Amino acid sequence: MATILQLEGVRKSYQKDEQRVEALRGIDLTIERGDLVAVVGPSGSGKTTLLNIVGCLDLPSSGSVLYDGRELGGMSERELSRYRKENISFIFQSYNLIPVLTVLENVELPMVIERKLARAEMRRRAEAIIDAVGLAGMLERFPRELSGGQEQRVAIARALVKEPIVVLADEPTANLDSHTAEEIVALMERMNAERRTTFVFSTHDALVQRHAHRVVTLRDGLIQSNGRSAA
Amino acid sequence: MNTLIRIAARNVVRHRRRALITALTMMVGIAVFIWMDSLMNGMDKVSVDNLINLHDSSVKVFTTAYYKDRASYPLESGIADPQALIRRLSHDRGVSRVTPRTEFLAEVGNYRDSLPVVGVVVDPASDPTVFTLKDYLTGSYFTSPKGIATGPSASASSDRQIILGKELAEKLGLTLGQTVLLDATTRYGAENADDFTIVGLLTTTDPGLNQSTVFITYADANDFLDLSGLTTELDLKLKSRVNLADTVAEANTVAKEIGESSPTLTAKSFAEIDGGFLQLLKQKRAGIVILILIILLIAAVGIVNTVLMSVYERIREVGVLKALGLSNREVVWMFTLEGLAVGLLGCLMGAALGIALEVQLIFVGLPLDKIAGNLGGSGVAFWGRLYGEWNPGAILFAVLFGLAVSLVAALIPARRAARMTATAALHFV
Repeated sequence: MATILQLEGVRKSYQKDEQRVEALRGIDLTIERGDLVAVVGPSGSGKTTLLNIVGCLDLPSSGSVLYDGRELGGMSERELSRYRKENISFIFQSYNLIPVLTVLENVELPMVIERKLARAEMRRRAEAIIDAVGLAGMLERFPRELSGGQEQRVAIARALVKEPIVVLADEPTANLDSHTAEEIVALMERMNAERRTTFVFSTHDALVQRHAHRVVTLRDGLIQSNGRSAA
Repeated sequence: MNTLIRIAARNVVRHRRRALITALTMMVGIAVFIWMDSLMNGMDKVSVDNLINLHDSSVKVFTTAYYKDRASYPLESGIADPQALIRRLSHDRGVSRVTPRTEFLAEVGNYRDSLPVVGVVVDPASDPTVFTLKDYLTGSYFTSPKGIATGPSASASSDRQIILGKELAEKLGLTLGQTVLLDATTRYGAENADDFTIVGLLTTTDPGLNQSTVFITYADANDFLDLSGLTTELDLKLKSRVNLADTVAEANTVAKEIGESSPTLTAKSFAEIDGGFLQLLKQKRAGIVILILIILLIAAVGIVNTVLMSVYERIREVGVLKALGLSNREVVWMFTLEGLAVGLLGCLMGAALGIALEVQLIFVGLPLDKIAGNLGGSGVAFWGRLYGEWNPGAILFAVLFGLAVSLVAALIPARRAARMTATAALHFV
């Protein structure tokens, strides 16, 4: 498989109150195209920071991140914006839906921002993915009218709808019941198999870990283990 | 783009109370601007109309010799054959009416005290067609023979009539029907004094007319000042114009044409004679415009506040949108649209309210006497009603300025939001 993401000596530190926090302390990680990677570890081990750096939401203090062989560190804000738009999708732990947009509009949003598809195609894709996450019939609802689990499913639909190359998901199943979580994981597996979409999860969920190709364990900002999933 | 507009519009609706309060601030600023502009235009028009109708006329024509030495009122340098010139000027393009006037220095007294005054000789037949003294008169207008007679007065000395400012009369303890002693130098330099009966008292908006001016007729002055038909100036009324700028331009053009047609004549428009006064009007207006712009800037602070609150409330949203690939420019645009929407709402409400107030001011007017009383001396009548002037340019300016202010006010917090990194925005609490 071709390497899609490569992290070399990535370190990230930041100031929190009076303290200097070393979130990542030298990460070397290679992710192949079509990989399904679960990043696990206790709270504060650096999982979310790692995802943010891979998704160019944050820059490393040192080290390099290469996407498809290209160094992301030297990109301008506009280039990073385009990189995220064209290649990456995020699933946030706290959903982060746009409150003034309906379910349908929220899901269409990444395609609207990308501006590649015709209006009708956007609508077709959005409706299909909303149906796939089990929210058909809720197209016109606003986020405030949904439960936490439903919001999470909208966030997942929003991340998957533009069929990105890489999906970065921070605890994607945290707010879902086990049945829905299985459906969502199955959907992601299907996308992974059919389109070679790369998934990187930060998770505590054993279900996600079971379906992952690889499990990367972080502890105190360092990779403790990096191996094939037990499943 | 449509989605950004949708997000912006829905956020405005979502926080409609806050947006409405901000829009109301803008509305008040715009409406006050439009109303004040209309009022100022109305006041300027009244001031200029008074200037033209009471003293200056639109254009004054002198002999060049008189004009050069006008400070000493040289009667001998007047226009010798005014009738021919009046006939000629009456046919000039833009000229509506012509009347002769002659100014002279004099003293008016009650046989105990006297005061220096400027005397004005008028033709009772044609003067009211150019000037509106009659509108400010208590008593009656001249009843003595009319026209510029070339011979001695047909009236007896005791029948001589005079109109003087009411304040002047009060200073001398005089009133209607009483006799005053007028002392002046004739055309040939001789001193002459005679009795005049007060037929009218003037209360105008011009303090000069009220306090130190007297009016007599040519019928009396031909004899009293030895004018023999001579006049020192011709006063022209021009065909009416829509606004002050047009009036000034037309008066200047007519004055220039008359001056160029005859080297012995000098014609001056009211704008040339009272350039200082017009400049003062402009300055007064600029001062008020600055005050109103301050009101609009206060409204701008409201918009900054509204957008800033919106930005802080939605910083996580900014983080998400940036994570989805929205560029900094698009983030700026989204929040700017929100500020502009509030500004536009305020501008449209302000324009609507301003136009309604302006219409009221134009057609109903402002009862000045109830508001200000008689303050006199400002060139504006403080009695009766003051009417506004329609000025679509000012409405357009107010709306465009309001929008520009909204744009700048929204840009400041919007740029701040866009500069945040996605992670910082997502972690913002």
